[in-house]
Amino acid sequence: MDNELQFAHRVRQLLSENARFGGPVAERLRAARNAALERRKAEPAGGHVVVGNVAGRMGVGGLSLRVIVPVVALVVAFAATYTWEQKQRAAEVEELDALLLTSDLPIDAYLDRGFEAWLKKRAAF
Amino acid sequence: MSAFLEGAERRAFKQAVYAVREEQAALDIVQDAMLRLAEKYGDRPAAEMPMLFQRILQNAIRDWFRRQKVRSLWVTLFSSLLPGRGEDDDQDPLETLAAAGVSNTEELPPDRLERKQVIEIIEQEVSKLPARQREAFLMRYWEELDVAETAQAMGCSEGSVKTHCSRATHTLAAALRARGITL
Repeated sequence: MDNELQFAHRVRQLLSENARFGGPVAERLRAARNAALERRKAEPAGGHVVVGNVAGRMGVGGLSLRVIVPVVALVVAFAATYTWEQKQRAAEVEELDALLLTSDLPIDAYLDRGFEAWLKKRAAF
Repeated sequence: MSAFLEGAERRAFKQAVYAVREEQAALDIVQDAMLRLAEKYGDRPAAEMPMLFQRILQNAIRDWFRRQKVRSLWVTLFSSLLPGRGEDDDQDPLETLAAAGVSNTEELPPDRLERKQVIEIIEQEVSKLPARQREAFLMRYWEELDVAETAQAMGCSEGSVKTHCSRATHTLAAALRARGITL
């Protein structure tokens, strides 16, 4: 293990020696570094740079609008779907009731097993 | 962050060269990694920077290989359609690397020349290591990340990092010994 570390240390020394270069490559690296620093993300609280991100920073009770808006939209969508389904179901029941009430047959006929068997028998012919 | 990048950029460039064996591509990769670090993690504490930068750099290198794979697929497809083209591209990147190195060694005193040649051989052998072994070895011993940080940067377990490092060290030592170099 010690030999391994010693060897690695020696390799590191030699590699570092060759990583001290100048010229066009170093120039391009410097330019890339400057470009990256210009596009640097804002520091957290206490930092020096603050990039405008109004939607991300505004909010209620510590939650940002980025979280609140989608949650509210989801709740509204869920409520709308539930209401629409309830209305659909009520309309179906209403339609069925209307059919039963306007039929010539008394409602009790549908509860009679004999009548049901007779209907099936007729349908078979 | 400026100081960190200034200290790390040359090593990052070398790491990319060892992996992709092309200077221009390595420069593009390092530039891309710097931009990603600044844009996404510019607000992170300085202590996290080395690990994050290494993770981004290794991902950028992998992205480059993926793009190359797709490109070479198209090139193969087109060159098979156009006979006679693409024959000049049979160039070993290692030869280019070695040739570039030799041109830099002119007019150096003998001891420095020998040292320079040893370093070039080491770089060639590092470049030949399997990708994961090279990543682990360079992160641990060149970038001086600890085992946990290296594991985090590589997305593997700490045990794997130790194994990769140990194998890399042995492979490298054996390869250098075979070329008459003992460190």
